[in-house]
Amino acid sequence: MEKTITLNHITKIEGHAKLALGIKHGKVTKCELSSTEGSRYFEGLVLGRHYNEAHEITSRICGICSCAHVTAAIMAIEDALQYTPTEQTKQLRRLMTLGERIRSHATHLYFLSLPDYLGYESALAMASEYKAELQHALNLIRAGNNMIKVVGARDLHPVSAAVGGWLKLPSQQQIVELKKLLIAVKKDAVKTCKLFFTLSYPKFESKAECFSLVGKNRYAILDGWFTSEKVSFNKQQYRRFLQEYQSSSSTANFVVREGHRYMVGALSRLNNNSGHLSKDAKKMLKLALNDKKLDMKLNSHNPYMNNIAQAIELVHCIDHAIEICNTFEENGIRNEPVDKIRVRAGTGIAAIEVPRGTLWHEYTINDKGIITKANIITPTAQNLLNIQEDIRQFVPNIINKKKEYIIEQIEKLIRSYDPCFSCSAHFLEVKWE
Amino acid sequence: MKTLYVFGNKYLEDDAFSNDVAKEIAKTAEKGLEIKLCAHPEILLDAEEDELLILDVVNNIEKPIMITEVSQLKTRKLVSFHDFDVSFVLQLMKNMGTDKKIKIIGIPQRGNVKKIANEVKSWI
Repeated sequence: MEKTITLNHITKIEGHAKLALGIKHGKVTKCELSSTEGSRYFEGLVLGRHYNEAHEITSRICGICSCAHVTAAIMAIEDALQYTPTEQTKQLRRLMTLGERIRSHATHLYFLSLPDYLGYESALAMASEYKAELQHALNLIRAGNNMIKVVGARDLHPVSAAVGGWLKLPSQQQIVELKKLLIAVKKDAVKTCKLFFTLSYPKFESKAECFSLVGKNRYAILDGWFTSEKVSFNKQQYRRFLQEYQSSSSTANFVVREGHRYMVGALSRLNNNSGHLSKDAKKMLKLALNDKKLDMKLNSHNPYMNNIAQAIELVHCIDHAIEICNTFEENGIRNEPVDKIRVRAGTGIAAIEVPRGTLWHEYTINDKGIITKANIITPTAQNLLNIQEDIRQFVPNIINKKKEYIIEQIEKLIRSYDPCFSCSAHFLEVKWE
Repeated sequence: MKTLYVFGNKYLEDDAFSNDVAKEIAKTAEKGLEIKLCAHPEILLDAEEDELLILDVVNNIEKPIMITEVSQLKTRKLVSFHDFDVSFVLQLMKNMGTDKKIKIIGIPQRGNVKKIANEVKSWI
């Protein structure tokens, strides 16, 4: 007997995606996750353009991750030009990136993920009963927006970031006000952790390696080696280790590490960088690890724990941002005009940590400063194969449950990765035989 | 002091008209009217006014309309962050018990800027 279930929308993820799942005699016969978004051609759009335009163009890949693409593009171009930015420039980039992560995590946790665990169709449906909780989300989103606006001069698609520095610098007063706001919303981040620790998560272990940047002295954001529990490599070596390939069923590339799937994102970062968490974020991690009901392990490979990792990162990001504000309060903001950089031909690579994982940008420019080659690898492209294989392994555990339950659990699994397929409308088809 | 929150993507032909109308209104606006061109709807969450005055483009209308009830707006369930739009935020505020009146002035996607600006002004 064959049954077909068609859902026109896998809701609450970013972008177009489709899953074809075949089940026969209690076994998964087919599991194919694919992105069905239209091709974006951004790597082609930047060709022939001046290097100063790369970040403005690639910012439009996604409004949610616009700061990420701006920062990665600028850093890759600077790498190609063999230019090292000032410490102030780097700190401001960190601050803007932290703001984007706070905004993104708060949105994902409360508006896309929480309704799943509380049994609501959407955040709107739970708003009257969970007003206080949603208020935490709004406070955090507001703080994230504010951080991006203070540094980037606009809260979406920042305009002050440039190759060689910042076109506009925040004032000392803005930094003071920002710090006050961050101190005020920290309690919202702590409450987010405590709320998400109380939820019930399926027991499941992904067999993937967890990769993220790992820095020497800090929870990695803009630098570090791409590291898992098994290997570590420098960004310059990425083409040796990471392979992109296409599938006829998907418009998004798949990415593997020497033929194997891997996972990026908050959980990987937490696994690989937990020693560099802020003091209060460490307290939250300890609380999670000691919670018997939650059953979270250090170096967890349970993708559902990505929600927990994001919640803990909220506390860490706020603490880190406050620390950066403190430095600027003490030392002031130096009036650093954008550096004029001597143009030279070369290739540059940037790997940075963004809300959904590690983002790669690579550009080759000629001696006129024109881009001749570009490559961008997003976190979701790196997670795509892993999500697919996790579904394949997870479904047999619940195969005897009702179809609605199975679909709900698959969607929850996909959402736990907080994937971004870059627009909306999704399609899940489960074929029963 | 009144604030007119203006929504519309200036880069999209079908969505940019509210920006043009807002600029026309600004030319002759009385003191006490602040016009804010908004990049995202979360700005409404911080609004201090008891009544939210909003200007936005509406599909398939030929002359300006006034909307005063959130229930008059089509609200989608939040599918992704990209759906975090004006109607979602207003619905969320309502469901969270925020007691604010709304006055949304919906304008067509194109038309005579001066004429529509004058009509909008009479409703502000």
